[in-house]
Amino acid sequence: MKTQRIAVAVPVLTAVLYLVCRLPEGTRAASRMPARGEGAATLAAIGALGRSGASHAEDRETWSRDIAPLLYRHCTTCHHPGGAGPFSLLTYADARRWAPQVLAVTQSRFMPPWLPEPGYGDFADVRRLSDDERALIQRWIDGGMTQGDPKEAPPPPHYDSTWQLGQPDLVLDAPRPVALQAGGTDIFLNLIMPYPLKETRYIRAMEILPSPARVVHHANVFIDRLGSLRRSHPGDWEDGVPGMDLLMDAGNRFEPDSHFLFWKPDSPALVEPGGMPWRLDSGNDLGLNIHLKPSGKPETVTMRVGLYFTKDPPVHQPMLLQLAGDDKLDIPAGDSNFVVEDSLTLPVDVQVLGVYPHAHYLGHDMEGWAILPGGEKKWLVWIKDWDINRQSVYRYRVPVLLPQGTVLHMKYSFDNSEDNPHNPHSPPVRVHAGNRSEDEMSHLWLQVLPVNTPAKGPDPRLLLEEAWMRNRVSKSPLDRLSLYNLAAALAGQERFTEAAIVFRQELSIDPKNARTLTALGAALEGAGQTRQAEESYREAIAIGVETGVSSCDPRFNLARLQVRSGNYSEAEMEFRQLLESCPEDAGIRSTLGAALLGAGRQDDAVREFNRALELDAGDPTALFNLGAMAADSGNTDQAVKLLEPAVRAWPASVDAHEKLALAYAQSGRLNDALEQLRSAAALTPGDAMVHELLSQVLGDLGHTQEAIGELKQALQLNAGDADGWNNLGALELRAGQADAARADLEHALRINPEHPQAKANLARVEGRN
Amino acid sequence: MPLPAFYRNVATLALIAAFAAMCAYGTGPMGFDLHGKPIPELAGPGVRVVVLFFAASDCPISNRYVPEVARLSREFSSQGVRFWWVYPNVGDTAAVVEQHNREFSISGYTLLDPKQTVTAMAHASTTSEAAVFLVNGGRLREVYDGRIDDRYISIGQERPRPEHHDLEVAIAAALAGKPVPQPGGRPVGCSIVFLQK
Repeated sequence: MKTQRIAVAVPVLTAVLYLVCRLPEGTRAASRMPARGEGAATLAAIGALGRSGASHAEDRETWSRDIAPLLYRHCTTCHHPGGAGPFSLLTYADARRWAPQVLAVTQSRFMPPWLPEPGYGDFADVRRLSDDERALIQRWIDGGMTQGDPKEAPPPPHYDSTWQLGQPDLVLDAPRPVALQAGGTDIFLNLIMPYPLKETRYIRAMEILPSPARVVHHANVFIDRLGSLRRSHPGDWEDGVPGMDLLMDAGNRFEPDSHFLFWKPDSPALVEPGGMPWRLDSGNDLGLNIHLKPSGKPETVTMRVGLYFTKDPPVHQPMLLQLAGDDKLDIPAGDSNFVVEDSLTLPVDVQVLGVYPHAHYLGHDMEGWAILPGGEKKWLVWIKDWDINRQSVYRYRVPVLLPQGTVLHMKYSFDNSEDNPHNPHSPPVRVHAGNRSEDEMSHLWLQVLPVNTPAKGPDPRLLLEEAWMRNRVSKSPLDRLSLYNLAAALAGQERFTEAAIVFRQELSIDPKNARTLTALGAALEGAGQTRQAEESYREAIAIGVETGVSSCDPRFNLARLQVRSGNYSEAEMEFRQLLESCPEDAGIRSTLGAALLGAGRQDDAVREFNRALELDAGDPTALFNLGAMAADSGNTDQAVKLLEPAVRAWPASVDAHEKLALAYAQSGRLNDALEQLRSAAALTPGDAMVHELLSQVLGDLGHTQEAIGELKQALQLNAGDADGWNNLGALELRAGQADAARADLEHALRINPEHPQAKANLARVEGRN
Repeated sequence: MPLPAFYRNVATLALIAAFAAMCAYGTGPMGFDLHGKPIPELAGPGVRVVVLFFAASDCPISNRYVPEVARLSREFSSQGVRFWWVYPNVGDTAAVVEQHNREFSISGYTLLDPKQTVTAMAHASTTSEAAVFLVNGGRLREVYDGRIDDRYISIGQERPRPEHHDLEVAIAAALAGKPVPQPGGRPVGCSIVFLQK
């Protein structure tokens, strides 16, 4: 059994989004705002032209021919009846009614919402209007807003309030409607939706249906693997948790956030690329970080999330990386150009799939770029006039390949002067980094997919995590979270001694941290320092008792140590005590099952494994042990069904690969068995048994020479194996290598002179001669 | 032969003055209430200041100002100030406005301005926009025309909260008989749909 329980707290990057406006009044705003008189003049001109004759009507732009297609392409996704836009632009009458506003916001480029500068990142789904399109709108309005021949207009797009991708496989509702007040400032709220299924599901697409749509400005969806937000707000989580950004406990498995689940009204369906679904497990919560804009009347807001499943687990594992200058965010009041920078060197080749720049209300100019190892500069994004209200995730039209050694850069400027109208403070005050809307942030998130990954070696995401956290620690040596995550990333690479050093570094700052002591214990255990590991667990338990904090994890690990040392009865007692305080912990249940199995109580063990799977259908210990029992008893279908997810959960488990290989072999799927054994051999090249099994499967597949090669490797590692020498002789005999066969069979008999098969095989060799 | 610009402006001002006189003396309806009944005058017994808030049922910024205007109405109504919710767009029929007022809990004086008489009198061009008139011997004299406050800078450009409450300051000054400060910026919202004449 290779369970490991190392706590990994990943800052939840997810989080956060907001909206609200910005734009300094005196400078930027003034430059784009017509003076009062100019506005009036524009209206007067529209009216006058609208009344003028139509002597050249055939030459003029018309709504039917020119404007309707443009509005349908760029605007009506939101601007339709019941849509998120404040008014409809579907009909000629609509376009005429709102022409002054359409003109103003397209000329200022406020609409359609699109912040990146063209030429600084090649993005998909660009919303920016071309200069020609803007000029077309201007000419149509100047020309009197002619309708033209209605037959020339394309059919209007159809919108309704139902799911665009059809009925979802699962619909989650926010527990309670949100009561939005009529006026006041914008609201940022985190709604929590527990995932109700016991089974793991992979999500290929997601839709969100808000009602009323017009008050929901955006939603950033996050996965709370442990339900930590719900647990930390036991009395009021159903009402939503206020806040613009979040920090969540990411749990004990290394599962970095991997997807941008950013929803905005003009992109209601988020469809993931092929092979990259995201995952929900039993016990997870889905969170909606929403920005609500009061409409002028009290509103009752409901949020529904539709999930579309796929049976296929991900074949690609992307990861979100962050550059940030938060440590330097100490913005003096009145400073209109406060600049922070950050950089990060990539330890592996990646493709950048998307980018999400993020700041609050003071952000102004935001640049992200990469310097390739050869010195070439590649722009990732440039936003010259940040507006939190129009923030978005931007996905690249073609993934951006960045080789190992590339240095990622970000450079953000902030305007904390009175001239920034979005400044939450008047007069301005000194501002630091923080999660509240009146604090600041300087984040550049990148969704990266590791590529060109060597067959052997650690998960490349662990290398990225290590590089990221080292960067954070270098900037903030006392950043406990980053130290913890760095240590966890090292432990994940089985660099346990280094991990223990970093955990101790964190403990020097916070000596009474039970969680870190538990993680240190796990690292020490991995490094083979069992006694020190036990001490660390015991210290964590003592602190838990002292502080009233749950000590399930260290007690679990301590009991598991006893399982490993064969002390099953003590382990069982400890696990049963643990279950009294942690009854819903599937991991405790399944490890108790393992202890019972070790004590020979198979029926009791099976009962505990099944209960564990009821609590968490993806519990790998239960899956593995039940699967192994099924394989051993020849129940191959059941074995394959259980062991496949176990292998996905434990890709580094040789036992899991071997058992699955056995199940495959029993059901005649020799090539699948071969694949599993090769994975196992890659993990433990020095394991003679794996090479022996490989030899057996290769032999059954008719690859005799390869089988001989694998068996020779096995015998180099375990030269005293008479069975092995006999098998080698038999293979050589099959290959017509009689001399070699004779020598190896004689070798087997020297080890075990009574070896019956070796005797028989040798007789066959002699008989041939 | 067209008049020089200067004289044209003078003529416009004279027209406005005539309008004010007409409405003050009740010689023509200023608009209609939600039952279609003509509204002869904007002031009334004991009214010292008249405030017009130009609204549109389909204008988001106008709607977002409803709570603020309702607050001002509550605060000043007992001091001799009469607030009017004025709907200048022809699409805002009595039925539409009646439903809108119900949805937004608007309960004050409401005026439909299908001929845009009051709109012209107040020089309003935008929803939301407000005008303040002093009531003087049955005559109305406009002392303020402009934004409610500085929350909106342009469409899409919005402060977290207003810093200058222009309309509130103007009403207080008008009540106190002091010079009325003029708006610090233009109103932001939706253009009034002017009638073609």
